[in-house]
Amino acid sequence: MASRKEGTGSTATSSSSTAGAAGKGKGKGGSGDSAVKQVQIDGLVVLKIIKHYQEEGQGTEVVQGVLLGLVVEDRLEITNCFPFPQHTEDDADFDEVQYQMEMMRSLRHVNIDHLHVGWYQSTYYGSFVTRALLDSQFSYQHAIEESVVLIYDPIKTAQGSLSLKAYRLTPKLMEVCKEKDFSPEALKKANITFEYMFEEVPIVIKNSHLINVLMWELEKKSAVADKHELLSLASSNHLGKNLQLLMDRVDEMSQDIVKYNTYMRNTSKQQQQKHQQRRQQENMQRQSRGEPPLPEEDLSKLFKPPQPPARMDSLLIAGQINTYCQNIKEFTAQNLGKLFMAQALQEYNN
Amino acid sequence: MSRFFTTGSDSESESSLSGEELVTKPVGGNYGKQPLLLSEDEEDTKRVVRSAKDKRFEELTNLIRTIRNAMKIRDVTKCLEEFELLGKAYGKAKSIVDKEGVPRFYIRILADLEDYLNELWEDKEGKKKMNKNNAKALSTLRQKIRKYNRDFESHITSYKQNPEQSADEDAEKNEEDSEDEDEDEDGVSAATFLKKKSEAPSGESRKFLKKMDDEDEDSEDSEDDEDWDTGSTSSDSDSEEEEGKQTALASRFLKKAPTTDEDKKAAEKKREDKAKKKHDRKSKRLDEEEEDNEGGEWERVRGGVPLVKKPKMFAKGTEITHAVVIKKLNEILQARGKKGTDRAAQIELLQLLVQIAAENNLGEGVIVKIKFNIIASLYDYNPNLATYMKPEMWGKCLDCINELMDILFANPNIFVGENILEESENLHNADQPLRVRGCILTLVERMDEEFTKIMQNTDPHSQEYVEHLKDEAQVCAIIERVQRYLEEKGTTEEVCRIYLLRILHTYYKFDYKAHQRQLTPPEGSSKSEQDQAENEGEDSAVLMERLCKYIYAKDRTDRIRTCAILCHIYHHALHSRWYQARDLMLMSHLQDNIQHADPPVQILYNRTMVQLGICAFRQGLTKDAHNALLDIQSSGRAKELLGQGLLLRSLQERNQEQEKVERRRQVPFHLHINLELLECVYLVSAMLLEIPYMAAHESDARRRMISKQFHHQLRVGERQPLLGPPESMREHVVAASKAMKMGDWKTCHSFIINEKMNGKVWDLFPEADKVRTMLVRKIQEESLRTYLFTYSSVYDSISMETLSDMFELDLPTVHSIISKMIINEELMASLDQPTQTVVMHRTEPTAQQNLALQLAEKLGSLVENNERVFDHKQGTYGGYFRDQKDGYRKNEGYMRRGGYRQQQSQTAY
Repeated sequence: MASRKEGTGSTATSSSSTAGAAGKGKGKGGSGDSAVKQVQIDGLVVLKIIKHYQEEGQGTEVVQGVLLGLVVEDRLEITNCFPFPQHTEDDADFDEVQYQMEMMRSLRHVNIDHLHVGWYQSTYYGSFVTRALLDSQFSYQHAIEESVVLIYDPIKTAQGSLSLKAYRLTPKLMEVCKEKDFSPEALKKANITFEYMFEEVPIVIKNSHLINVLMWELEKKSAVADKHELLSLASSNHLGKNLQLLMDRVDEMSQDIVKYNTYMRNTSKQQQQKHQQRRQQENMQRQSRGEPPLPEEDLSKLFKPPQPPARMDSLLIAGQINTYCQNIKEFTAQNLGKLFMAQALQEYNN
Repeated sequence: MSRFFTTGSDSESESSLSGEELVTKPVGGNYGKQPLLLSEDEEDTKRVVRSAKDKRFEELTNLIRTIRNAMKIRDVTKCLEEFELLGKAYGKAKSIVDKEGVPRFYIRILADLEDYLNELWEDKEGKKKMNKNNAKALSTLRQKIRKYNRDFESHITSYKQNPEQSADEDAEKNEEDSEDEDEDEDGVSAATFLKKKSEAPSGESRKFLKKMDDEDEDSEDSEDDEDWDTGSTSSDSDSEEEEGKQTALASRFLKKAPTTDEDKKAAEKKREDKAKKKHDRKSKRLDEEEEDNEGGEWERVRGGVPLVKKPKMFAKGTEITHAVVIKKLNEILQARGKKGTDRAAQIELLQLLVQIAAENNLGEGVIVKIKFNIIASLYDYNPNLATYMKPEMWGKCLDCINELMDILFANPNIFVGENILEESENLHNADQPLRVRGCILTLVERMDEEFTKIMQNTDPHSQEYVEHLKDEAQVCAIIERVQRYLEEKGTTEEVCRIYLLRILHTYYKFDYKAHQRQLTPPEGSSKSEQDQAENEGEDSAVLMERLCKYIYAKDRTDRIRTCAILCHIYHHALHSRWYQARDLMLMSHLQDNIQHADPPVQILYNRTMVQLGICAFRQGLTKDAHNALLDIQSSGRAKELLGQGLLLRSLQERNQEQEKVERRRQVPFHLHINLELLECVYLVSAMLLEIPYMAAHESDARRRMISKQFHHQLRVGERQPLLGPPESMREHVVAASKAMKMGDWKTCHSFIINEKMNGKVWDLFPEADKVRTMLVRKIQEESLRTYLFTYSSVYDSISMETLSDMFELDLPTVHSIISKMIINEELMASLDQPTQTVVMHRTEPTAQQNLALQLAEKLGSLVENNERVFDHKQGTYGGYFRDQKDGYRKNEGYMRRGGYRQQQSQTAY
């Protein structure tokens, strides 16, 4: 238990650094009109999320839960959370909403913040950009404008740096989702790309002064050896997994594009046919002069254009690929640093 | 049997009559379907003619009956119709009539009809009363019959001169015939025959009297009954041939002229005798031409008539001659195939006949002929193709064929052939060579078929099966004898057929003697022993070679040659002559066109391929073994493809007919190839191929499976939640594969070769130990390869000595394996000769590098796809590349026109 606290204690600094980086990213993104500009998380929430995963999540399985807190100006303060219970298909009569309401009412009784401000989810190698996440986050944001989703990456955390990120859907995406029209034209009109689907909100982990004091004290006591995960040079496994996942996504992307391609070809083919028919009709009309021209709507009714494939999936895949790439980039950059460091150390020793 | 009772009950006679009609046709059809019965053609044709005659005459009498009825009610229209039909029917019966003479009843109806019509014509009053149709019909009919009767004038006048006589004669005949019939009744039910014989005379007379009473009653009945009665008499006429027909006439006459009673007949009996004799003679002339020249000849024959019907009665002082016996034989055979015939009794009768013939020294020709017929009857015993012979019948059949062969061998002057016509048969003239119709080859082929059927229908795990299997030797012996016989006398075609039979009984047997001889190389000490062994019989290999080569050279039907080739290959493969077997298979080009062959040949082909694969495996040629077995094993229907059982799965898909056909195709159990052995051989050879391959291409995204089935087994093994020690053969192979993947040859070895596997598989090979040593060696080699593939990235260098210790292979072998791998670029390494080590080059990409390469490839395709989408938007399909091509084309065009433009286009780029 002690070591656990130690771990979290050390992450406080690293997370603040990531938060800073994210802040910069946000600035570049230029989505300044968002309702929330900063997320402030209580240490308790972080520990609770980690504990939840430790107890219930394993492998590719994800754990989810509800975030509680309140909005102060443009800052979202998350002060508490509770997990969704794991439930299987067997108990289908389990009512999740009912459970949440019950839980929040109970928390209110003990005078804890009970405002629903979002949810959290664990992830497996950063593969969280999915349709399911998009849908639930959309419904959250639709109901409670300020809500965020916290993504916790346990694998990265195990390697020595806490990985916790807060995401929100961009207003553009919200609009698209509201209309539920994912046709190529609609997305084009909305001018949305995979880069502007999610916006990352900077995170600050805040502890009470008492806890800070305790942490300082603990840090003094802990030996350096306890932090060795950070210096691990073994990289191949993690990298390999990431590459594998990336490849799968690329395959999916490829398939998607092929699908889109066939769609395009079909539409163009049909348009050509339509033209021919129209021309024939005109000829007919010329031959039998005096007759009123036939309405052209019949044609479009007769020849239904092929169903355009929903482009949302490919957008999501692209987003996912982007996440993977960033993960890999980040990971390799850190590892290179470590390798150079190791080399230097070796030279020094020699 | 029932038709012999017809005289007793009228209604029954009708039904049996119609039954007869129904039956005759299918029977004829049956014979058409059984080409194997060719040997009995002679009897067949005769029988068919007789039944046809019966049929025709019956038709005629039926028509006549209706005409007479119509005459009675003065329905001339009906008369006309029927008369026309009668004319047609008579036309159909023409051929028979030509042979037998114009039937008397036919003449009579013609005469009567003419008289009747004239009478009507004269009766002006009646004519006036007649309605228009009838009057018209009357005039037409009168004209027609006048014209028609001109052809029969002589017959009619003779009839008119003496109607009484002929009628009486017939009536008299009827009495005797009925007596005969009663006797016949006794004679046929052979079981009761002996007992009845003693009582026969009294019983007969009683019956006879009773029957006469019946007939009297009938004749006194009202006119309505007459219809029925004539029916009964006509049914009599089918049962008897010549005489029967006359009986019908007679009885009818009785009715027509009720005044003709018994007393009158008795009085006239003497006078009639002569006429009857004359008639008899006429009817029998055909059969007894040879003996006809003797004056008193037919006197004896007449006595023989009842005797012929009762084989036992031959002894009663009558001289048994060929003619009598043959006649009897024909009579027995006539009954064949008819509905009421008791087949068992028939066989018994025939056997009695043989005995009599033998006792009276009638010569071998007759005996051979009867034997042929006995065997044919034995085959005939079961009307159904699906059912098989009973053991006792089978034993009888074998004995009979053996005896027949004995006779044929003892008398080289007997010629047997299916092409010998009945007329040209020579059964007893000792001066000339005897000629008998019948084909020994078809009999033997049929026998072989029956044997197969018996084996198919016996439970293969019972003692009974073993008992039946003992007959196989006898079957083989018979085939061998026939073969020897045919080699002397048969045509090449027949020889080919019998050779094929011989081959089919040889190819699947492992020749242990030859095997033993091979194992003990000729030495001085064992020479005498060897000679002895050689005397026992030629090697089956030599035999097969001889037989097959003859077939290859002489056979003209493709099927026999194909079968012979396949059997030859099978035999080679069975005796581990892999290269001969393979070469023969490749040279025959059977693989290309076997799918056009009929199912039994395809089954044989499949069996051959499997045996070939197993042979290759024994030789250690895993790849060949795998390829040969792949087709059979991959379908998952090995059982069905080899004809060793029906699949339950497809049971719903086929109907009963198909199932029966498929059942008939099944290979008897003693020819089965062990399916577990087959699968094991396949899986082990797949393992030896696949595991090193998998190890070599572990990171290759595009590697293909060598054997799907093997992978399936591996996956099944992986899916097990709890892995216990292997139980079945498959589990053993899977466990061994896993061990081999790690390069652990000792574990692999212990999984493949152990007590269980020995019992299940390896001991089934004739040279089990040799196979096992081969297998161990293969496992060692392939494990070494797998080890090098899997762990080469871990080593910088590895000493060959270590490897040879690890895999217990000698150094040169290790050296050769590694060299081979290096040459094939499977292993990136080089050999360091002085230190005897393998130095790895480490050029194999790491896992990450491999992944990166794959990713790059995928991204490439992604970009390409994306480009296409872009092209769509641009409107030109093919995009950049297409443009370039067009440019080149333009270039060419410009070049043809002139130089300066070319420069222009170049600058454009």
